[in-house]
Amino acid sequence: MSVCYKQHPELRLTEVEGEGVVLHLGTRRYFSVTESGLILLQALETPRTFDELVAALLEEYEVSEAEAANSAREFIDKCLESKLLLEEE
Amino acid sequence: MMRTPISVTCDDASVREKLEAWVRRCGIVPPNKLSFRVMIGSPDTHKGSRRVFRQPAVEIRSGPPDCGVHISWVTAPAIASIPGGSSEASVVLSPTATSMMGTCVETFLITVLIFLLRRAGWHHVHGATARDPQGRGWLIAGDARAGKSTTAALLASRGWPVGTDDTAFLVDDDERVSVKACHGPIALRKGGYTLLGRNVGELLQRRQKMAVWPEDLGATWLPSVEPDMLLFTTVGDRVSKAEPIGAREALTELVRWSAWVVLEPELAQEHLDLLTKLAKQAQGYRVTLGRDLFDHPNRLAELIP
Repeated sequence: MSVCYKQHPELRLTEVEGEGVVLHLGTRRYFSVTESGLILLQALETPRTFDELVAALLEEYEVSEAEAANSAREFIDKCLESKLLLEEE
Repeated sequence: MMRTPISVTCDDASVREKLEAWVRRCGIVPPNKLSFRVMIGSPDTHKGSRRVFRQPAVEIRSGPPDCGVHISWVTAPAIASIPGGSSEASVVLSPTATSMMGTCVETFLITVLIFLLRRAGWHHVHGATARDPQGRGWLIAGDARAGKSTTAALLASRGWPVGTDDTAFLVDDDERVSVKACHGPIALRKGGYTLLGRNVGELLQRRQKMAVWPEDLGATWLPSVEPDMLLFTTVGDRVSKAEPIGAREALTELVRWSAWVVLEPELAQEHLDLLTKLAKQAQGYRVTLGRDLFDHPNRLAELIP
């Protein structure tokens, strides 16, 4: 069974100038995210697999699958570290 | 007598009259009815919810079991609770707290009012408000050392309409965000008061500040303004400077100075959306306030074209 990721329920998102600002109500911290990061976080309102996130990036940007996979992996790792995402089987 | 949608009930007529006078003086007219239900007695300590903020003399708890907010006064026994979804604050004041109502209002009850107003869609930001001679609305945001009060006093002394030096509320007026001001005196530190060079106001003993009403400086009170300019200030040395910033940077600054955005999950998105709308509506500037402003307060308007 593949791992799914989803937004932490205590996140609140907003968009400005194509980028995102994310509030974590639990840790009371806020973060800025890039345009692609915002796309991924919005997609993660519902649980997504890694492959689905890569597909979401490929739909928006003219990049190779390898580049999209690298971006998605890097973003997920940072978000997990900051407790912005939950991981589930 | 002028009616306000914020009602006060209390069996002690003297306390009730003082609180009603304070609420009227604030000049705040939210769109729906809010109330303070005040009892005099021995406050219980809040149980269950976790402490999320501590500011001078006031402690705020939030979270389960009722997802509301619970506010305690540190100076004298007093507590307030606003359950999730409720538009009523239940307040218990000890006799000691009622014997120092001026300080109680200034530190504790103003915090309760701030959370109560969230239930009417009014979201607090630490900011001073003013309107410049060209008719543009200004919001000057920052912490207690950002020079907001001194700047508000300087602008008031030059006849700019001024709303507040710190207690401002963001309100969604459909197309635009407006900022409502709580009417009160500007609280100046000794240095700012001396440099202002006016012999007006009264000493706030506990805070070691001078309280000066904008009207005493020649200004009219500005109950509401639609900001065109957002100033994020720090106090510098001699020469004032201003640098424009983008909307995203302005938004992160607004989040910083609107700390309650992270409390009460059901209200957080509405609060964040208002901050975003304001960041898009107004031009942001990072401003260093210098001593040159005391001689030339209008230099601030020259720096913000």
